[in-house]
Amino acid sequence: MILRCENLGWRVRRKEIVSNASLSMNEGEMLGLIGPNGSGKSTLLRMLAGVRYPSTGRVYLGGTPMAELRQRDIAQKLALVEQHADTEERITVREAVELGRTPFLSVLQPWSHEDEAIVLHAIAAVDLHGFENRNWHTLSGGERQRVQIARALAQQPQVLLLDEPTNHLDIKHQLAILQLVKELPITKVVALHDLNQAMICDRICVMHSGRIETLGAPCEILTEERLMKTFGVCGHFMTDPFDGSPVIRFHRAHKED
Amino acid sequence: MTVTDRRPNRSASRNLWKWAAIAPPLLFIALVAGTAMGETSIPMDVVLKVLSNKIFGAAYPVDRIDSGIIWSYRLARAVVAACCGAGLALSGVVLQALLRNSLADPYLLGISAGASTGAVAVAVMGLGGGLISMSMGAFAGAILAFAFVAMLASLAGGGTGLRAAGVIVLAGIAGSQLFNALTAFLIAKSANAEQARGIMFWLMGNLSGVRWADTVTVVPAALFGLLVCILNIRALDAFTFGSDSAASLGIAVKRVQFGLIGVAALMTAAMVSITGSIGFVGLVIPHAMRLVVGTRHRALIPASALAGAIFLIMADIIARIVIPGQVLPIGVVTALVGAPVFALILIGRRAAV
Ligand SMILES: Nc1ncnc2c1ncn2[C@@H]1O[C@H](COP(=O)(O)OP(=O)(O)OP(=O)(O)O)[C@@H](O)[C@H]1O
Ligand SMILES: [Mg+2]
Repeated sequence: MILRCENLGWRVRRKEIVSNASLSMNEGEMLGLIGPNGSGKSTLLRMLAGVRYPSTGRVYLGGTPMAELRQRDIAQKLALVEQHADTEERITVREAVELGRTPFLSVLQPWSHEDEAIVLHAIAAVDLHGFENRNWHTLSGGERQRVQIARALAQQPQVLLLDEPTNHLDIKHQLAILQLVKELPITKVVALHDLNQAMICDRICVMHSGRIETLGAPCEILTEERLMKTFGVCGHFMTDPFDGSPVIRFHRAHKED
Repeated sequence: MTVTDRRPNRSASRNLWKWAAIAPPLLFIALVAGTAMGETSIPMDVVLKVLSNKIFGAAYPVDRIDSGIIWSYRLARAVVAACCGAGLALSGVVLQALLRNSLADPYLLGISAGASTGAVAVAVMGLGGGLISMSMGAFAGAILAFAFVAMLASLAGGGTGLRAAGVIVLAGIAGSQLFNALTAFLIAKSANAEQARGIMFWLMGNLSGVRWADTVTVVPAALFGLLVCILNIRALDAFTFGSDSAASLGIAVKRVQFGLIGVAALMTAAMVSITGSIGFVGLVIPHAMRLVVGTRHRALIPASALAGAIFLIMADIIARIVIPGQVLPIGVVTALVGAPVFALILIGRRAAV
């Protein structure tokens, strides 16, 4: 399923948070969204997910303007993993993941074996097997994040938007989740802070002060000048002796540079 | 200790069938108890005979006075108590879920304050020149106050999410204060001591004077509220992680929020106009039921409705028998009985975890 947006903008009190963002995702690609804190990544993702209405511009999901789709139709095709999601309710892991089936069930429709299988599969995919009956408030930060990802997987989306899905995860699960996302045969947009991890993406979109600065293949985009300009850090590019892929080492930029 | 498989039933419809089987017998027992017990205890067989006479047209010989007390007085009262308890509890469930605020109760939206202003305007100021009853005044006041709160919230609000929920709570507080002040002003200006006492009594919530005619308001209100809640079971669940999360799960957030909060307000206004503002039920029954059946609305909605109904029937029985020759306001009893019961549930739950 193709996701596209044109001239997206979002304003609060005449302050432009995101402006003029145009993007077109290719079928099945993994698009990385990078940029400094406050550059508008989460805001852009929320608009793309249809949970926040853009002040200007449009989002198209599979060719149809999102504003013309019902919320439920969107949710059957697109899932969003939020950066922070929390609850005070006593809810188990399984119940949280079950929420992912909401867009597919009408009011009194029975819970089917298929739903059950999808939920269990999603829980296993994020390595939470055995946690099904644990309470949300007893989970660690990384476990909670994996529950959120499992919930999105249970939606069996054709477009998956993830806002910093790895920010609480240990290194093993960071790699596992990114690989899992990468291998899904659907369109993915992932906001990330770890630029070395962003290398895994097919294309990278760099945001700065609410604007899209550039968009392209990771090795074209991530250059020393770009790191300096967008993030204000020095980067050294090296080659991984094992697989020959590029690795970036960062240092703080000195004031006089 | 062996724990049997307590995996909750995930199917909303099967859950509802289960509750549809459990609820009527329990409700029937509660209603019969509410009818049998009182200042003068009436033997159970007499109660059942009167009920079969009235409902099924049986012809058991019973005392005329007993029959009158049972049918016209106590049963009507028990039915109103049940509907009111169910309605307030459901209203609490809805508001707590949508506003994501565990302290939300049905009166948060200014409804009880508005109802009291309306009631006082009719009873003390003689608004409507005797053509409208205190109940109608209370209902109008409640709706007026809710409209005020809703307008304030939408003017001050903006966006969805926790901030919007916070704005609604604040608007509710402002509206309640305003209408409470109006009530106090009206009482101070023109009520005499006797009237003021009567109004205080009414405001605390009470069921004396309730007759069959009142069921025309409360029964449809409770049934309609229950139906709307059942139709929104999945939507209410989807708000667990907030309104953005609900939207990403395919819920039309604005529509569900406006619709459900509106229905909760209407239902509460209907109850309050008949019985005054009975406290505690709408706040605590949902919490107690969360501790017992969990937070998923497929169980929470029917459990809260049933528990609210039974709880208020019981509270009314206690209100009638605890001081011989005097009927306490039911609002006093709900808090006096409810608080310790809730404490026990809380403590018991802690021991179980
Ligand atoms: N409702 C709002 N009112 C005012 N400012 C807002 C609002 N929402 C977001 N912003 C501002 O918009 C900017 C972009 O926010 P956003 O959450 O999209 O950033 P981000 O790129 O996801 O940052 P991070 O890397 O920290 O997650 C921030 O400066 C934020 O303070
Ligand atoms: Mg962000």
